Amino acid sequence: MATITGDLRRTATVEKRRVHHDGLWWAFAIAKAIIGVAFIVAALFPLAWMVIAGFKTKTEVLQTPFQFFPEVWKWENYAQILGDPTFMLTMGWTLLGAVLFTVLALTVNSLAAYAFARLDFRFKRTLWVVVITTMFIPGMTILLTSFIVVTRLDMLDSLGVLVLPGAASAGMIFFIRQFYLSIPASLEEAAMLDGCGRFQIFLRLFLPLSKPPFVVMGITAFLAYWNSYVWPILTITSPERFVVQQYLATFRSERATELGLLMAGSTLAAAPVIIIFLIFQRQIIGNIKMAGLK
Amino acid sequence: MTSTQTMGGTGVAEALALPEGKVRRRARERARYRDTKMAYLLLLPAVALLAVFVMWPAVYAAFLSFQDWSFYKDPQFVGIRNYTNVLTDPLFWASIGRGFLFVLMTVPIMLVLAFFFASLVVSVSRRFASVLKVSIYIPTIISGVITSIIFALIYNYSGGLLNWLLGAFGVAPVPWLGDPAWALLAIAIPAIWLGMGLTSLIMVAAMVDIPTEFYEAAAMEGANWGQKTRFVTLPQMKNILLYLLITGFVAAIQQFELPLVMTGGGPLDSTTLPNLFIFNHFRNDINVGYSIAAALLLFVVLGTVSALVFRFVNSERLVD
Repeated sequence: MATITGDLRRTATVEKRRVHHDGLWWAFAIAKAIIGVAFIVAALFPLAWMVIAGFKTKTEVLQTPFQFFPEVWKWENYAQILGDPTFMLTMGWTLLGAVLFTVLALTVNSLAAYAFARLDFRFKRTLWVVVITTMFIPGMTILLTSFIVVTRLDMLDSLGVLVLPGAASAGMIFFIRQFYLSIPASLEEAAMLDGCGRFQIFLRLFLPLSKPPFVVMGITAFLAYWNSYVWPILTITSPERFVVQQYLATFRSERATELGLLMAGSTLAAAPVIIIFLIFQRQIIGNIKMAGLK
Repeated sequence: MTSTQTMGGTGVAEALALPEGKVRRRARERARYRDTKMAYLLLLPAVALLAVFVMWPAVYAAFLSFQDWSFYKDPQFVGIRNYTNVLTDPLFWASIGRGFLFVLMTVPIMLVLAFFFASLVVSVSRRFASVLKVSIYIPTIISGVITSIIFALIYNYSGGLLNWLLGAFGVAPVPWLGDPAWALLAIAIPAIWLGMGLTSLIMVAAMVDIPTEFYEAAAMEGANWGQKTRFVTLPQMKNILLYLLITGFVAAIQQFELPLVMTGGGPLDSTTLPNLFIFNHFRNDINVGYSIAAALLLFVVLGTVSALVFRFVNSERLVD
């Protein structure tokens, strides 16, 4: 007891000392602000430059001396790329694939996660070990043979080849299962007394509670699809079926001089993921706290 | 609903009517595994997809690595020849060496910067802290292709921002991506830019978890920031630093999207990291076995490292 009050008194002195801001405190505060702003600039400058460069003429983007803002703000690049049917088709195609991929991934992985979290069945441990093992196979090893497999299955150049191979993921099953394990069993027992079957319990009880893991995993899946480049360049060969990253990389090598247009296109291609991130930033950053491994 | 109830009822009745050991055990087993059919149904989609697109390719890779095979002919068993070809190929070893160099260029800087970033975040106001966290994380969600496009323009020889800035200090322009001496470093910087977000935020989360009493006690002893960092923060974050070091290593040595887009591995192979070496080999060489053997050799090392990390992290979580 005595130590506790002692501690409290000490804490109080520390706080009192803090309230009194001396010159040194202010020097530290200013230094911290400057370093903080430096971090923000380092993180955001390249993106800000990309957005602004989209308003420049093609020669202005790489003009010396360097100018951050254009002489004249030119909307033409954005108008032109938005009016380009190939680009818009590519964006639409990629968006469709990303949505299908996200929905499919959440569906198959949450069903599996529920089974592993709540049901008792034969070979449960064995299956769990098999599923988790797939997490440790680095991408490159199976990238090559997956390509051979989808070639054999005659899946090249289709939406299926982009959506199906990555949809089931041991990492996502693991993540959602962890969440399901934390749901108290008493809720379930009540539902079971009401005569609900296992699948109904999933639909009526687990699914409505699944928003937090679904937001985090759904965004992860969407981002992974939207940003993917290597798998598409192996499997998609017709230009009209390119995904957006493939389109940008091809644009960069084939129309190397149209830099303002390239930057406008890159900005529009980055916009959906940045918007999604800003909407859900609290959950995404909060999740990192959740996964905060000591 | 009614059917499940009846089924459950019959099960109990059976067990009561025939109280022999064997039957009882079977009944108990049936009760224990009563969900088997439903469970398999729920698992089917995920397991089928994993089987076709992950497990089978993995097994197939192991098989093909012992074969002489290309798309146009039947596989022919060649023993460990693919492996010996890889292991005696100086180009493979050069790419591994480059991978380690790339790790040295990225991981230590990232850890140090992320550590300072986290120290800053925990010491400023809540609002400034959240602005800092959101800003540092934004590059993480940007694709490798867009990052490559932006940085390649910043590195541009005649009109790029970097050469212009250095020119202001009287430094002659450098062809960053065209000079074998600089190209790998030029790719390391966007890699750090992309990877900082996650590393920093994990670091922040770990630092927030350190009990404030420790710092108060240190402040009582008159410790300054450096001493608090050395005697409280660093020892408390030992595990997390180790975790970030290993995952950073695994991620950096596998990096290949940035060099693929920015340089294609050149100039003079100076940016051909291990995975890019394998990828380019696969696209250019009709003998698939070589590329697969190389990928598997890399896997043995990386798979072991990541499995160890997972075990380590999980055991820590269980202890909590």
